Amino acid sequence: MADRQLEATRAASAFQKQWFADLRRRVFDDRQPYALIQADVPFELFDLVDIPAVSNQWWAAIVAAKRQAPNFLDAMDADGLHRDLCRYCSLGYASTRYAAAGDAPWGGLPTPRLLCARLTCDCIHRVFELWADRFGAELFEIDHPGAGDLPPRWWDLGRYRWRELVEPHRLAFVVSTLERLVSRLEAISGRAFDRDALRQRLELVNQQEEVFDAVRGLIATAPECPVRMTEQITNVMATQWVRGSQWALAHARAFHDEVKRRVDDGVAACPGERARLMWIGAGLWHDTGFYTAFEPSHRAVFVWSMYLAFGPDGYIRYGLDDPMAALASRTASFNEYLHNPPWAAEWSVHQARQHRIDGALVLRPRSMKPAATGRLFIERALEDAGIPVLPIEADVVDARGWDADGARASVRSFLETRVLR
Amino acid sequence: MRESHVVTSWPSVPVEIVRAAGLYPLIIRGAARPTPAADVLLEPGIFPSRLRQLVEDALTGRLAHAARVVIPRTSDADYKCFLYLREFVRRGVTTAFAPVVLFDLLQSRGPDVPAYDLARVHALLGELSSVSGRTPTADDLRGEISRANTARAVARRLAELRRPVPRVSGAEVLPLLAAFWEMEPDRYVETATEAARRITARPRLAGPRVLLAGAPVDGHSLHEAIESHGAVVVAEVGPWGSGAAGDDVRIDDDPVAALADKYRADSIGARTPVDSLRRLLQTMLDEVDAVVVSLPPDDAVFGWDCPALRDVLQARRLPHVCLREDPYETPTPADHAALDAMVTAASRMQEARHG
Repeated sequence: MADRQLEATRAASAFQKQWFADLRRRVFDDRQPYALIQADVPFELFDLVDIPAVSNQWWAAIVAAKRQAPNFLDAMDADGLHRDLCRYCSLGYASTRYAAAGDAPWGGLPTPRLLCARLTCDCIHRVFELWADRFGAELFEIDHPGAGDLPPRWWDLGRYRWRELVEPHRLAFVVSTLERLVSRLEAISGRAFDRDALRQRLELVNQQEEVFDAVRGLIATAPECPVRMTEQITNVMATQWVRGSQWALAHARAFHDEVKRRVDDGVAACPGERARLMWIGAGLWHDTGFYTAFEPSHRAVFVWSMYLAFGPDGYIRYGLDDPMAALASRTASFNEYLHNPPWAAEWSVHQARQHRIDGALVLRPRSMKPAATGRLFIERALEDAGIPVLPIEADVVDARGWDADGARASVRSFLETRVLR
Repeated sequence: MRESHVVTSWPSVPVEIVRAAGLYPLIIRGAARPTPAADVLLEPGIFPSRLRQLVEDALTGRLAHAARVVIPRTSDADYKCFLYLREFVRRGVTTAFAPVVLFDLLQSRGPDVPAYDLARVHALLGELSSVSGRTPTADDLRGEISRANTARAVARRLAELRRPVPRVSGAEVLPLLAAFWEMEPDRYVETATEAARRITARPRLAGPRVLLAGAPVDGHSLHEAIESHGAVVVAEVGPWGSGAAGDDVRIDDDPVAALADKYRADSIGARTPVDSLRRLLQTMLDEVDAVVVSLPPDDAVFGWDCPALRDVLQARRLPHVCLREDPYETPTPADHAALDAMVTAASRMQEARHG
């Protein structure tokens, strides 16, 4: 991790570590259930019946950041799982299946009571089935009905007119699946699910995302970027996993206030900023230093990633008369927002313009096939909008094939020949 | 390409619905043919050959006169292909292109899925009827189901000639079995019955019997490569060979529901639940001497089953080999060497078993 400039970042990291320690205590000492879930599953439903939920992607990022991924991934290779299979969504599984191969962070994942995944890409079904088998735990599947109609400017429609964003049959299907999930969670926890509490929680989620929206606005409009992208991500991720909680809202506000103070005081992440960069794709968790590597040499700052921007645009839902439908409308199209044409390309260009982006680095993931789709549309759309693009081929958790020096040299050349001309 | 063709990317769109609407199914398959126009617009390593061929056809105007292009939800790559095709049209990348439709038949086990699927089959029927101007009655649908079931029965008889000892090579029989999907049922019954009659009169084929597993293949090039080493491919996990016919579709009061249930349960692809595939595989392993697992570069799914499959095959002492090339590419010397070693080992074990 690059050096931290914000107090909020330190608080977010400490919170996550403590949260996980509390989880292990609850599971091991108090024998309470927890759930292991994909990042796009609605965490709110679990929290409202007091079942803590661990995100697969968050855990993979932690394993990679602790430099343990190569050990587990070598064990996967040795077991005959070919290298074109997705490593990001399966690193957590590997840390369980091949536990002896590495040193999983903070004592490793305890056995969950339930695993839950949306069946977006084809591999996730397999990974979660294998994982559930390994743990001897139950798997709850949320199937992903495909979108036949994708209206323009989804980020506008999603806030107030979210019923128009998702076709009625898809929305009804996801609502009914979430209702079944709630029944299952009630049975596991022994607690009754409170729909008013869901509405209140979603209102808090809206408030939290409005705060992130304000932070995004500060970053987009400040003369120089006030907060590094890596610190944006740490603060957003710690908050999103417990979104709508009192801590999350308080932390989002503290983060906002600190960023605003920096803007008011004219403090920049990289004083003398010359180039504003955006990163499109999941984070390069095994080499986060990459994102600050071009500050000293070129005054080039990563300003934007999806992690902060997606919060307000993807999560805010106004009009919560039917909170489950609102939640379903958010859940139904995550992949389409972020990876698929026309939505992902349209949003990337919109965000690039809003943030005065000078150059975009687009991840070409080596093994994540779903995340790899749509990127040619994004690259072309950005170039057509006058924003130079540099594709970066990498795996976000697998450092074994990563040429850190070569990638940095490519970026330097890109900055010198296309961005800072 | 005729205006009465409904083009699809995988045999998981009910052909009975297509025919009842007065149209003809045409399923695009993989090929060795280059796809230069598609290669510019599709990311490498994600889309299987059949989808690259389909996009190539779309971009070069070959699908301009189809009644509809119906992309089923068989895999994530199919779904992405649907979204890409829509976007190519929206952006004017291709203009001479038939309307593209998503057939979103889900295959997971949730209790909400059958109703969702039933509505999707009704929607498909409505869409195709609107194109042809022919709205089939329930009796029309039952008639198509009955005709297809008769063809299924003949396809099953043909497949029986591969077991327990084959009388026909895999490379020869795969096109006959695959024709079930596109040929008019009455003509298929006639053709396949005649083929079965001829094959029955042949002597049994020697050589180890091979099961082709992994990502389903939609052509016979890999069969030819395997059989060039003296083996005989006697079964495939997939909808084109052994799985073409499957069980009959039930004939009852609700033919649309019967079709939705059949295609949800029997369509083999990347979204088929793993326990269904495992059960299918187990029934096939009793009558083979070796297994080839095809895992092309676009595979995101079937590779996950490899460690468990390897354990099963080792327990059964079945030689096996895993091939990572696209089945439409010429196998590498290393692949040929691996196939040769597998066939040799299987032959030795076959001889030991039979003295």
